[in-house]
Amino acid sequence: MRPGPLLSWIYLAALFAFVFAPIVTSMVFSFNSDRFPTVPLGEFTLHWYETAFARAEVWTAFRNSLIVAVTAAALSTALGFATAYTDFRYGFRFKNAYLALALLPPTIPLVIMGLAMLAWLSRLGLSGTLPGIVIAHTVMGAPFAMAICRLRLQQMDPSLEAAAWNLGASPWRAMGAVVIPFCAPALISAYCLTAAVSFDEFIVAWFVSGLNKTVPVMILEILQGNVDPQINAIGTVVFLTSMTLVIVAQLLLLRKTAK
Amino acid sequence: MTASDPLVEFRSVKKSYGTFEAVKGLDLTIGRGEFVAIMGPSGCGKTTTLRMLAGLEAPTAGTIRIDGREMNDVAVHERDTPLVWQSLALFPFLNVKENVEFGLKMRGIGAQERSDRAMLWLDRMGLKGFETRPIDALSGGQRQRVALARSLVTEPEMLLLDEPLSALDAHLVIRMQGVLTKLQKELGITFVYVTHSQSEAFAMADRVVIMGQGEIAQIGKPQEIFRAPQNRFVAEFVGRNNILSGEVAGGAITIDGVTCPLPGAPDGAAEIVVAADRMTIHADDPGKGALPADFVSEEFAGTGIICYFEGPSGEELKAQVSEAQLAELAPEPGRRFWLSWAPEAAHSLTA
Repeated sequence: MRPGPLLSWIYLAALFAFVFAPIVTSMVFSFNSDRFPTVPLGEFTLHWYETAFARAEVWTAFRNSLIVAVTAAALSTALGFATAYTDFRYGFRFKNAYLALALLPPTIPLVIMGLAMLAWLSRLGLSGTLPGIVIAHTVMGAPFAMAICRLRLQQMDPSLEAAAWNLGASPWRAMGAVVIPFCAPALISAYCLTAAVSFDEFIVAWFVSGLNKTVPVMILEILQGNVDPQINAIGTVVFLTSMTLVIVAQLLLLRKTAK
Repeated sequence: MTASDPLVEFRSVKKSYGTFEAVKGLDLTIGRGEFVAIMGPSGCGKTTTLRMLAGLEAPTAGTIRIDGREMNDVAVHERDTPLVWQSLALFPFLNVKENVEFGLKMRGIGAQERSDRAMLWLDRMGLKGFETRPIDALSGGQRQRVALARSLVTEPEMLLLDEPLSALDAHLVIRMQGVLTKLQKELGITFVYVTHSQSEAFAMADRVVIMGQGEIAQIGKPQEIFRAPQNRFVAEFVGRNNILSGEVAGGAITIDGVTCPLPGAPDGAAEIVVAADRMTIHADDPGKGALPADFVSEEFAGTGIICYFEGPSGEELKAQVSEAQLAELAPEPGRRFWLSWAPEAAHSLTA
C-alpha cells in the first residue's frame, strides 16, 4: 500500500478512536465489577445496571425523558414540515427573513436559550413541568425537522401536487394522499432525529425541568454526589437509544436520496 | 372560426404576472370531439392557456366556459379537465394500478369498481401484467401510457396534454403520436395539445392554433397554416418558407429586379411566401422569373434535402430537393444558381 492511502486510513482510525474512545470506555466499565475505573479490568457484571434500574428516580427520569422526547419530536416534526411546505409552496415578501427566523434556534447559545425559556415558561406557569420541557425541546428540534423535510420537498416534482388536484383531490386530500406519502421517509427520519435531540438534551432541560428531571439532568445530579459505575450503565443505555434513533434517521434519508 | 358544437370558449382572456402579459386577450372556441394543438415558441403563452383551462391559473380578465358553464371560479379539483403533464407527474410511491386508480379514488368510487376500471384501461394501453410494478421500473413509453390511462380512467369529455412527448426518443414519439390519434378518434373526446413541435401538431391535430407573444397568430387546419400562413410570424415559425419582399404592379411582383407573375395581387409593397419544397433550382439562368442565388450549404431533413442560398440582397433562400436532384446539381458553396416558382405557389402575406 502506498503511503498516501495508508496515512488516510490511520488518520480515519485515529479520528474515530478520538471520538468514540470515551464512550467505549464508559460502556466497558459499565460491565466491570470494580468500583473504580482502573485497568486491569475486574469481572464481567450486570450489577451496575441492576442497582441503577432498581432506583425509582432512574425509572421516573427515563419515563419523563420518553414522554418529552415522544411529544416534542411529534410537535417538532409537524412544525418543521409545515414550515418547509410553506417555503416549498408559496412565494411571498420577506420569505428569506421567514426562513432565517425558522432556522435561528440552533444558533442561540444553549445557556441563553435555557435562561430565556426558564423566564418565559415561569411566566406561563409552565416551568418545572413536562409540558414546559416539551415546548423548549420542540423549539430546539423544529429547525432540524424543517431542514430534513425541505430536502425531501426539493426532490418533489412541483407538478405532483397539482396533478393530484387535477385528478379531483381537494388541497387537503392532495396533502394527505400525495405530499405526506412522498415525504414519509423524511417525516420518520425527522421524528427520530428530533426525538434523539430531545432525549440527549441537557442544558435547557436542566434550566426548565425543576423536579421533573429528564435522564441527562438526573445523571448530573448523581455525578455531583459521587462517581459511581451506575452512571456508566445509564450512559450506555442513553447512548444506545440516541444512536439507534440517529441511525434509523440516517438510513431512511440515505435510502431515499440514493434513488 | 368557430366550431359547430363548442365545448370550450375563451372570451377576451388575459393573464398577467405583474407587468408581464403572458396571454393578451385570447378568443378561442374549441369544438366537442376536436383535436386542437396549440403551438408556439417557448414563452408564447400556450402553456398558460392550458393551465387556465385546467384551473391551475386564474385569468386576470375575460371568461372561460366549458360546456357553457363559466369556469373562472371553479377550483382545480372540481373540474373534469385531466392533464397529461410534461413531466408526467406520476406518483412515485404508488404502483402502476394505484396511479391509474387515483382519480377514481378521489371521486369516492368503491374499491371493486376502481380496480375493474383501472384494469380495463391498463389493458387498453397495453400495460396488462404491469399493474403492480413501481413507476421507476417502467420505460419512458410505458410511463407515458400510465399517465394517459390515469387521466382517461375517469372518462372525461376533454383531455389536456402539455408537451407530453417532449421527453421521448424520436422513434417513440412517432409511435405515441399514432397511439394518441387513434385514442382520440375512438373516444371521440376533445384533445387540447400544447407543443412547440410543428411535426407533432401537424401530424395529429384537426386544427392548429399558432401563438406568439401571448396572442393567436393564426388558427387553421394544418395544411392551411402550412400552405397559407397569414403573417410573417407564422411563415417564419412554420419554417422552410421563403419570405420575399417586393413591389406589385399589374399582377406581377418585382423582387430584387426580377419580375414574377402574381395574379390578383393589389399594387404596392408586398411580401410573399414560397415554401421550400415549391422552389425549383436551375443550374442555368432560365431567362425570366428566376432569382439568382448563391449556394451556401445543404441540410439533410429526413424527407429531403434543404439547400440554402444567398439571394441578391443577402436574404436567405431555401429550396428542397431529393437526393438524386442534389447529386445532379452537385452544388458547391458560392456557385450561382437560379430559383423559380410557379405563380400559384406564391402566397401573399396579409400582415
